[in-house]
Amino acid sequence: MFYQPTDMAEALRLRAELGPEVVTVCGGTDVVVAMNHGVARPEAFLDLSRVAGRDSVERVNGIYLLGGGVTFAQMAKLPVRALAEAARSVGGPQIRNVGTIAGNLGTASPAGDGSVALLALDAEVELSHVERGSRWVRLEEFFLDYKRTALQPDELITRVRFPSDFESVWYKIGKRGAVNISIVCCAIGRSPAGAYRIALGSVGPVPMRAMEAEAVLNGDSTDAAHRAVAYLADEVIERAAEAAELEAAPIDDQRSSARYREAMCRVLVRRLLRELRDG
Amino acid sequence: MGDSGGAWHLSCTVNGEPVEAEVDPRITLLTFLREHLLLTGTKGACLEGECGSCTVIVDGRPINSCLMLAGQAQGCSIQTIEGIGDDKKLHALQKHFIATGAAQCGYCTPGLIMAAKAMLDANPSPTEQEFTTAIEANICRCTGYESIRQAIRDAYREIHG
Ligand SMILES: Cc1cc2nc3c(=O)[nH]c(=O)nc-3n(C[C@H](O)[C@H](O)[C@H](O)COP(=O)(O)OP(=O)(O)OC[C@H]3O[C@@H](n4cnc5c(N)ncnc54)[C@H](O)[C@@H]3O)c2cc1C
Repeated sequence: MFYQPTDMAEALRLRAELGPEVVTVCGGTDVVVAMNHGVARPEAFLDLSRVAGRDSVERVNGIYLLGGGVTFAQMAKLPVRALAEAARSVGGPQIRNVGTIAGNLGTASPAGDGSVALLALDAEVELSHVERGSRWVRLEEFFLDYKRTALQPDELITRVRFPSDFESVWYKIGKRGAVNISIVCCAIGRSPAGAYRIALGSVGPVPMRAMEAEAVLNGDSTDAAHRAVAYLADEVIERAAEAAELEAAPIDDQRSSARYREAMCRVLVRRLLRELRDG
Repeated sequence: MGDSGGAWHLSCTVNGEPVEAEVDPRITLLTFLREHLLLTGTKGACLEGECGSCTVIVDGRPINSCLMLAGQAQGCSIQTIEGIGDDKKLHALQKHFIATGAAQCGYCTPGLIMAAKAMLDANPSPTEQEFTTAIEANICRCTGYESIRQAIRDAYREIHG
């Protein structure tokens, strides 16, 4: 069976009524690859590609609100540096035209470029149920374990929100210039109050925050004096970069050794913090 | 394929012609084009979005037909290599791919042409970078890309005088 609701209320009703054997699909760029490889053989689909408002982009009271069906091609145009650069690095035009942010979060790959950028931007994801309503979940609580999330089978990812006033930087190390899955990816966000958030991709089971590295920079986050002193002196950057290398927990795989990934965490954190400092 | 427990009624437009069909919801747009409509110009190769040989244009945008479920093309306007020109009147891209030797074994050519066409249709003044980005997810193992890029630039010049 193929279900193709045209509004979110109908989509949520179907999601709650239909069993988990009916697979939610938005762009299909992860779901259909798994089918073509024979890894998954779904018989039935709940297709969200026609839901009205799925791809809306709003900015209200200092908050960006993106519909789950916003594509990488759309995100590439946002004036949010880390997210736009991450989106531009995804696949090629064919993937960016259909791949969505809900799909990136839903797959919950540790290499999810959109997920890593959003984590640095202090994003929350809206999980909705037809009767229980919506709940906003911070991304660090959304990603539970390798490709496991807080999404319940009867819920849909409906929206994502994040503050619009963060500065952010991003970089991905991969093997080529396009269609380039990350070996290591890093995004750093800085709030207007000067608090740093460092997110790393492909170095653990889920997109992760480098909390130790953040602590070097933020200290006691209420301590403005600490931040003024800590203001990204080379020596502070080096300590944060080292902390990131130590807390990363990558594995060896076909793309890279774990050791290389650890070393690159240090390089990326150093490079991106300098970029934030020097503009 | 076994019983899918419900065919899906697909209506869309392919190369300007309205199409109505009952499809198994598990098939991709690539399979629909090739096996149902017998439009075999569109090629499948990697089936994971890495090679671009299955590229078609859906509502003006290039997509990988191997990764789109046929049902997701509902109501859409689809363009394939068969729809852009023929032996009597080639599209400028087809003409210049032949002229520069950008097609050798030819397997990647329909996908490359559709990826390039989507960009040329949407962008009246592409930068050098945009010429490259348009085909960054299309693999050719024969030509080395320089002749392909040349063919696309020549087609652009012909189209825009
Ligand atoms: C060639 C290629 C290159 C790629 N390159 C990159 C890359 O560089 N970086 C990167 O991060 N990713 C990349 N990807 C992976 C993929 O494109 C992304 O993860 C994309 O964001 C998936 O979005 P989608 O809408 O296509 O997801 P789908 O395939 O439609 O869905 C993915 C998962 O999310 C679930 N889901 C989707 N929408 C919802 C919803 N609204 N509510 C609940 N669950 C939902 C689905 O059930 C499924 O489990 C690539 C994929 C391919 C094929």
